Amino acid sequence: MNFRQFAVNNVLRSKRTYIAHFLSSAFSVMIFFVYGLLAFHPQIEDGIGASSGTLSMLGTMGMNVAQYIVYIFSFFFLLYSVGAFIKIRKKEFGILLILGMSRKQLNRMLFIENMLIGMAAIVVGLGTGLLFAKLILLISAKVMAVDNGLPFYFPLKALVITAVSYSILFLLIAGFSSVMLRKGTLLALVKAEDAPKPQPKASPWLALLALLLIVTGYGMVMVFSVLQIFSFLLLLGGVVLVIGGTYFLFTQFSVYLMRYLQNKKPFFFRRTNLLTISELIYRMKDNAVMFFLVSVISASAFTGIGTTLAIGDPGLSAMENPYAYTYSYYEEEADRGKKDLEIVRQELDKAGFAYREGSVTPAYSDNGIKVIKLSEYNMLVESQGYPAETLGEDEGILTPGTVTEKNNYRINGLTFSEMEIDAGNEKVAVDVIKAETFIAVPDSYGVMLVVSDSLYDWVAASEEYSSSTYHTFFVPDWKDTGEVTRTIMNRMNESGEYSYYLKSLYLQWKGALQQNGILLIVSGLVGIVFFTFAASFVYFRLYTDLARDEQQYRMIAKVGLSRRELRTIVTRQLVMMFFLPMLVALIHTVVAFVGLQQLVDFSIVGHSVNIFIFFLGLQIVYFLVTRWRYLNRMYHIIQ
Amino acid sequence: MEVLSVRNLGKIYKGAVSHEALSNINLSIEEGDFVGIMGPSGSGKTTLLNMISTIDRPTSGEIRIGEQDPFRLSEEQLAMFRRRELGFVFQSFNLLNTLTVKENILLPLALDGIALDEMERRVQSLAEKLDIVSILNKRTYEISGGQAQRTAVARAMIHGPKLILADEPTGNLDSKSARDVMEMMDRRNKEDQATMLLVTHDAVAASYCNRVIFIKDGQLYNEITRGDSQPAFYQKIINVLSLLGGEGHEFSPIRR
Repeated sequence: MNFRQFAVNNVLRSKRTYIAHFLSSAFSVMIFFVYGLLAFHPQIEDGIGASSGTLSMLGTMGMNVAQYIVYIFSFFFLLYSVGAFIKIRKKEFGILLILGMSRKQLNRMLFIENMLIGMAAIVVGLGTGLLFAKLILLISAKVMAVDNGLPFYFPLKALVITAVSYSILFLLIAGFSSVMLRKGTLLALVKAEDAPKPQPKASPWLALLALLLIVTGYGMVMVFSVLQIFSFLLLLGGVVLVIGGTYFLFTQFSVYLMRYLQNKKPFFFRRTNLLTISELIYRMKDNAVMFFLVSVISASAFTGIGTTLAIGDPGLSAMENPYAYTYSYYEEEADRGKKDLEIVRQELDKAGFAYREGSVTPAYSDNGIKVIKLSEYNMLVESQGYPAETLGEDEGILTPGTVTEKNNYRINGLTFSEMEIDAGNEKVAVDVIKAETFIAVPDSYGVMLVVSDSLYDWVAASEEYSSSTYHTFFVPDWKDTGEVTRTIMNRMNESGEYSYYLKSLYLQWKGALQQNGILLIVSGLVGIVFFTFAASFVYFRLYTDLARDEQQYRMIAKVGLSRRELRTIVTRQLVMMFFLPMLVALIHTVVAFVGLQQLVDFSIVGHSVNIFIFFLGLQIVYFLVTRWRYLNRMYHIIQ
Repeated sequence: MEVLSVRNLGKIYKGAVSHEALSNINLSIEEGDFVGIMGPSGSGKTTLLNMISTIDRPTSGEIRIGEQDPFRLSEEQLAMFRRRELGFVFQSFNLLNTLTVKENILLPLALDGIALDEMERRVQSLAEKLDIVSILNKRTYEISGGQAQRTAVARAMIHGPKLILADEPTGNLDSKSARDVMEMMDRRNKEDQATMLLVTHDAVAASYCNRVIFIKDGQLYNEITRGDSQPAFYQKIINVLSLLGGEGHEFSPIRR
C-alpha cells in the first residue's frame, strides 16, 4: 500500500459515505451535459425547425443560463457536502496527524480523494448522459414542438465543455477542502467527537420574529400581485423576508415547540414519545439548518417550474389574439391587400375550413385615442360569435387590445364615464357606457374606444396620416391550420414579399409552444437538480449521525425496545426530516401561486397541483427507500 | 541513554478562571524503561501525556525526546518527528476503519514512503510476535477489542520509535483481553527493548510496568518501583492509590 492507494482505499471502502455526494455530483454533470447537448444541437443552433430566429436564440440562451445556474449551485452544493465530510472525519484526520502525517500529506490525501470522486462523477454523468442522449433528444423534440424531430448526433462539443468545466469545479472544491481543514489545533481535532453538542439557544422574540417576517413577506408578495404595484424591490423584499423568517422558524420557533412538548409531562412520558422528542431536541440545531436549506431550495424549485408551466399554457396565445389570420395593410397598398386576402379565402375554402371575416381601420384622434367604427367592430365581434352592439351618437365602448388591458377592465371595470376626443380643433365628449372584457381588436396598444359611425367618420376625416386596415379571419378549427398556413404563405411569397403582413395564430401558437418547451426544459431540469441536492442534504444529515444512532439504539435495545417501537421512532423522525421542509416549501409555493394567479387570466391550479404531486411522489419513494435501508441497519444492530 | 526528559513542566489553561493543570513536573525515562503514570481523575496525567505526545504545548518547562525539543520544530519537521520517533496507543484503539488490519499497521511506514517488501517483512514479523497473523486481512469492524488493541500496539511499534506512548490502553477491554495486551507490551519491552510510557487507571495494567509514577493535583506525588514479584507490586500500587485520597475504594483490594 503506497500513499495513493491509501487515499483511494479511503474512498472506495466507504462507499456508503460518499454515495449521495457522488450521485448528486454525477447527476448535475449529466444535467449540465444535457443542456449542452441541446444547445449545441445542429438543428437548434440553426433555428428550431426554422420557425424563428428569436426562438432559437432564446433556446440557446436559456440553455446557457441554465448551465450557469446548475454550475454555480453545484459548486455550493459540493462545498457544503465536502464540508460535511470533513466534519465527520475530523477525528480520523487527528489520528493521522498524530501518527505523523504531515499537513502537506493530509492535503494531498484530501485532494486525491476529491479528485477521484469528481472524475468518477464526470465519467458516470457523461456516460449516462450519452446513453440516454437519443431518448432525451426525442423527448425534447416533442416538448419543444420541433416538427421534424431532433436527430441523434455525437455531441463532442458538449462532452468536452462539460468535462472541462466540471474538472475545474472539482479542482476548486479539492482546493477548498484543504483550506477548510487548516483551522483547528490537533488537540481539537482528536477531541472532535467527544465535544457534546450545545443545546440550541432560543429567544421568544426571535421566535415571534420568525412568524412576523413570514407574514410580512407574504403580505408584500400579495401587495405586489393583488394591488399590482410592480416594484421589483417589493417582490425582492418579500422573498428575502420569507427566507429570513423560514430560517428563524426552524432555528427558533421549533425549539419552543419542542420545549413545550417536553413540558407537557403526560405527553412527553408516554411510550416512545420520550425518545422521539429528545432525539429531535438533540439534533435540533443540525436539523434546523438542513430544514432551512431544503425548504428554501424546494420552494424555489416548485415556484420556478410552476411559473414556467403557467407561462407555457396553450390558452395564452389564443387569449391574446382570437383570429386565425390577421392581415394588415396600408391604404395605398389596398390592391395588393385584396389579392392576398383572396389567396387566403381560396386556400381556406379549398381545405374546407369554416371561417368568418372582419375588417377594421382604426383612426387616431389628436389626443391619442384610437377610435374604432361601430359597424366594423360589430363585424369583428359577430365573427367571433358575440352579439352586436348598438351605440347612441355620443356613446362609446372601451375595448381592450392586450391581455393586460383586458384583465384591467375585468378586475376594475369602468373607472370613468366620460372621455374627450379632440379632432380638427374641435372637442367632443363621449359617454363611455362599458368596458368590454374580451379582445376584438388584437395586438393594439393604448386606449381604444368604439364609437358611432358618424363620430368615427369625423375623426377619420381630420386625420393627416394614412391609416392601416386589419383584416381578420376567425377560424374555429384554427389549431389544424398548419398545412394550409404554409400553402398560403408560399403563395403570397411567390407574388412578392408580402407574407410579412399576414399573422397566423397557428404559427404564433407553435412558436409559443416551442418557447414554452424551451422554458420548461430549462426550468424543469434546474428544478430537478435542486430537488436532488435537497434530497442529498437529508441523506448527509442522516449519515452524519448514523454512528451515534447505532450506538444509541444499541443501548436502548438493551433496556428493551421492540422492533415495532424502533420502527415507530425511526418512521416519525424520518417523516419529520423528509416532509416538514416540504410542507413549509409547499406553503411558500402556494402563496407564490396565489400571487401569480392574480396576474394571469386562466387557472394555474392544475399546473401547481401537478408539480407538487410529482415532487411529492419522488419524495415518498425516496423516503420509503431510506426508511427501509435505515431500519434494516438498525434491526441488524439491535439483534 | 535517556529517551525522555521532562524538566519543570507546567501547564496553565487560561480562561475565565485560569486553571493550573500541571506544575513543576520532572521526569526522566531511560531506553528500555517501562513506566506507568497513575493518578485520580483530573490529576493532570492525560495533560502530561498530551504534551509528551506533542499534541499540546506546555506553558513552562521543557520536554526533550532523544535530545530533541519537539516544540522547537517546524510543523513539517514535527510531523516527521512524530512519524519516526513516537508510537501511540489509545484507549479507543483509533484504528482507521477504511483500512484492513495490515494496512493500519503499516500506515506509518506508508506515510514515510518505505519500500513495499520491507513493509511486508516488518509487518509479518511483528504480527507473529503479537499473535495477529490470522486477522491481518480483516477489516477493523470484524475483529475483537483485544485484537484491535494489539493491532494498535503493532502500529505504534512498526517503525521502531524511540518512545511508545499509551493512553489507558486497557480502558476499553475486558480483563482477559487487557491482560493479553499488557503481556504483549511487556514482552516487547523485554525482548525488543522498546521504551514505553503508559497512563492508566487500571492497577493490573500498571503492575506490568517497571515503575509507576503517581500524580495528584498536577504535581508528582510518589514513585514506586517493581521488585521481582508482580503480585507484590500490584499490592503496593493499590496501597498508594488508597493513600492518594478518598479513591482507594475504586480499586478492589482483591487481586484479579
